[in-house]
Amino acid sequence: MIQLSRNYSLPERKEDDLAIKIVGVGGAGANALDRIVLDGMEHAEMIALNTDVQSLAGSVATCKLQIGRGVTRGLGTGGDPELGFNAAQESAEEICETLRGARMVFICAGLGGGTGSGAAPRIAELAREHGSLVLAFATLPFVFEGKRRCRQAIEALQELQRVADAVICFENDRMGDIVLPKAGIHQAFAVADTTISQSVRAIINVVRRPGLIRIGFDELLAALRSQNSRCLFGYGESDSDNRAHEALALALRNPLMDRGKMLSDAQAVLVQIAGGPGMTLTEVEIVMQELNRHVEDHTQILFGTSVDNKMGNRLSVTLISSLSADGAVQAAPQMIPRLKPKPTAVEIPPATASFSGPIEIEAPTPPNVVEFANPQPPPAVEPVEEEFFAAEEKNLPMAEIAPPPSAPAAVRKEKKPLVRREPQPAAQPEPVKTAPPKKEKYVQARQEVMQFEPITRGRFEKSEPTIVEGQDLDVPTFLRKNVRMK
Amino acid sequence: MASSNLMVGLEIGTSKICVVVGEGKPDGTLKILGVGQAPSRGVRKGEIVDFETAMKCVHEAVVDAEEKSDIMIRSVYLAITGGHIQSFNNRGCVLLPEDRDEIDEQDVEDVRVNAREVSIPSQNAFLHSIIQSYHIDGQDGVLSPVGMLGQKLEADFHIIHGMRSRIQNSIRCVKELPLDVEDVVFAPFAAAQVVLTQHQKNLGALVIDVGGGTTDYILYNDGAVRQSGVLAVGGDHITNDISMGLRIPMTRAEKLKIEEGSTVLGNCLPGETVLLKDDSGFAGKEIERETLNTIIHMRLRESFELLKKRLEDEPFLNYLGEGIFITGGCSQLNGIDNLAEEVFEIPARVCHAQTMSGLTSAFENPQFSAAIGLIKYAQAVQADRPARGGIRGLVGKLLGRMR
Repeated sequence: MIQLSRNYSLPERKEDDLAIKIVGVGGAGANALDRIVLDGMEHAEMIALNTDVQSLAGSVATCKLQIGRGVTRGLGTGGDPELGFNAAQESAEEICETLRGARMVFICAGLGGGTGSGAAPRIAELAREHGSLVLAFATLPFVFEGKRRCRQAIEALQELQRVADAVICFENDRMGDIVLPKAGIHQAFAVADTTISQSVRAIINVVRRPGLIRIGFDELLAALRSQNSRCLFGYGESDSDNRAHEALALALRNPLMDRGKMLSDAQAVLVQIAGGPGMTLTEVEIVMQELNRHVEDHTQILFGTSVDNKMGNRLSVTLISSLSADGAVQAAPQMIPRLKPKPTAVEIPPATASFSGPIEIEAPTPPNVVEFANPQPPPAVEPVEEEFFAAEEKNLPMAEIAPPPSAPAAVRKEKKPLVRREPQPAAQPEPVKTAPPKKEKYVQARQEVMQFEPITRGRFEKSEPTIVEGQDLDVPTFLRKNVRMK
Repeated sequence: MASSNLMVGLEIGTSKICVVVGEGKPDGTLKILGVGQAPSRGVRKGEIVDFETAMKCVHEAVVDAEEKSDIMIRSVYLAITGGHIQSFNNRGCVLLPEDRDEIDEQDVEDVRVNAREVSIPSQNAFLHSIIQSYHIDGQDGVLSPVGMLGQKLEADFHIIHGMRSRIQNSIRCVKELPLDVEDVVFAPFAAAQVVLTQHQKNLGALVIDVGGGTTDYILYNDGAVRQSGVLAVGGDHITNDISMGLRIPMTRAEKLKIEEGSTVLGNCLPGETVLLKDDSGFAGKEIERETLNTIIHMRLRESFELLKKRLEDEPFLNYLGEGIFITGGCSQLNGIDNLAEEVFEIPARVCHAQTMSGLTSAFENPQFSAAIGLIKYAQAVQADRPARGGIRGLVGKLLGRMR
């Protein structure tokens, strides 16, 4: 009895059973996915989806899926969204198989091209039909990429916004703002990838981290509630003495934030402050006070804080919010119920026909969307949660498709249970699995701190060194103690 | 010497050379007649590294002092510091002959010599052996044993020694001018003479002289020196840290430290900056105040922590009735007393030379504490001289050893 009650009091048990899948669609999606993998992400499964076999072969994701084998024959879509959509349609069954069991699906896609614009909305739709919460991270092309691409991107974005639970949209043009004018084009594109990687990680952390004041899906959805909107996202991390202030400043400096000016129009802002065991109440207060200067009085602040030993002496601030596009606030809620039945009724037949299990899951989806548009978040969440559990129980064994590295065109199906009990032969590209990057990530963070000019003693270079307790006191203290200076 | 009650103190510091001319009054008070100073070059961490340049600077300072006080300087008392100086406590013991039981001056001198009979590195020379207390036949706490009866005289001494060659370098630098060196004095010992009153020495106090190149300290308890030493880290290091941390030239860093520097963290508005105005050849730059203060704070905190660690070897730090006195050029940094208080957990204050008359602007500046202290020391030595012949001999002997 006593033991039982003790077991109940364990708070951290829950965080592990959250199945998250990150899907990179198209070339840009794959790039973003690669960045996420390289930055280290151990809590989620990475799936690269593309029509182009070559690009797929170059990806470092653990699971790769070629779509539209009949439509494109292993080539790209040539910038035609129609082709991309058809490809996704053709491989709908495999996509469903891959995404099954995920409670949360992140879709990363670069809009404007063929695969990203065409397939991403369809994939989002499929994922939702299987009861996953779908968050899409979309990048819009640079203006110089041409008007046609931009138009395609906008159309795809609207489509995505219609089908996904939330869309976080990165405008590449805005990304350009934070890169130096002289920086190479590579760097400009890389910034978008890095930002996506950061946001995905931050959102996963927000919902996964055991919090003192926990943030769940419900708050996340409330913050991202308004459909047809721009998402505001900011993330900052600091380990200096003034880390609370700096982390918030960094979060507000994020290109999606516009230095916090955008926040004043937001209906709800989600804030999560995470830090090591050394985080103090004062620091939390500082962040909240400063943040309050940026938001209006009526704005709902969804506040969460968590202590994570892995943070060390760093403190991070994550801000998530969404902003209704001008004038669209009224229109959005009414449009969704009308638009939503269309895809389920018209386009789904091939998918539904091939599936026996998920039919009862499909049913609650459309009313669900209506509730999201409703400005009361708590009731909206419960069905979603239930749905996740249901989906998870049903779909324990899930299929993962990994092409052998030598011949990517020959796609092989493999049944693999979610709980990895039996050791699998090393058919998958194990070397790029996510376990090592976890370490790498923290090492990286340290290295950043170490980025100083080579240690020097300045004006004492030629004088007799003062060595006390093995330390050369002529070297500046802040260098020896690895304190970062700007 | 021009006049027996005229005294000159010379301190060859890392950032400046300072000459103080003082006059001892018959009633025992001191009057400062003039202060000469010159910026110092060729000195690093309190030690001369460029002999010729340092000599020129000393000459400038002496000439300046002569002009201001209208006195010909012939001989000086010289303050010595540097990372090579060390100290320890030792007890000497003499047994009186069978046929005599009254302690005389020779016995006191013998016990002092006896206390020095310890091995110090061969290249080192004694600077001071400062009496702490005498014990006669097991009776503790005797202050003046001459004339008392006993068989066994013991004495505790605080002995300060340093590398002979380096002390000689400083002496030679003055002798080449040419000036006579009356005596060499360990700088914080001199500073303590004017910073602390006898009462404060009795209650227990720690003097920290944060100078340009070194941080010197001396701890008094029960009226006697218990611990002393030098940490070869000073204001220069702070300037160097600022220069490297903010990537600005040394001269700008020095100015920034003096004008804007503070050791207090978290006192600035977020994002508050200091504007470095552009001069000829130097582009203007904005510097975050918090960064500047962090650099200063970290360096000073580290120095204090190292001092604390050294002082904790012996228990005296726990019995300081009067707390910590911070002096020297760097003590003018804002908030340094609070920082010391935080590190040592003992009340601390910034202070300057006390009990002087004459040029108030001179003794109220903590930069001159050591140089003014030299005069006070000289006065004490000269007052003793007619009474105790031994001292003269000792000074002669000391200098003899060094030469």
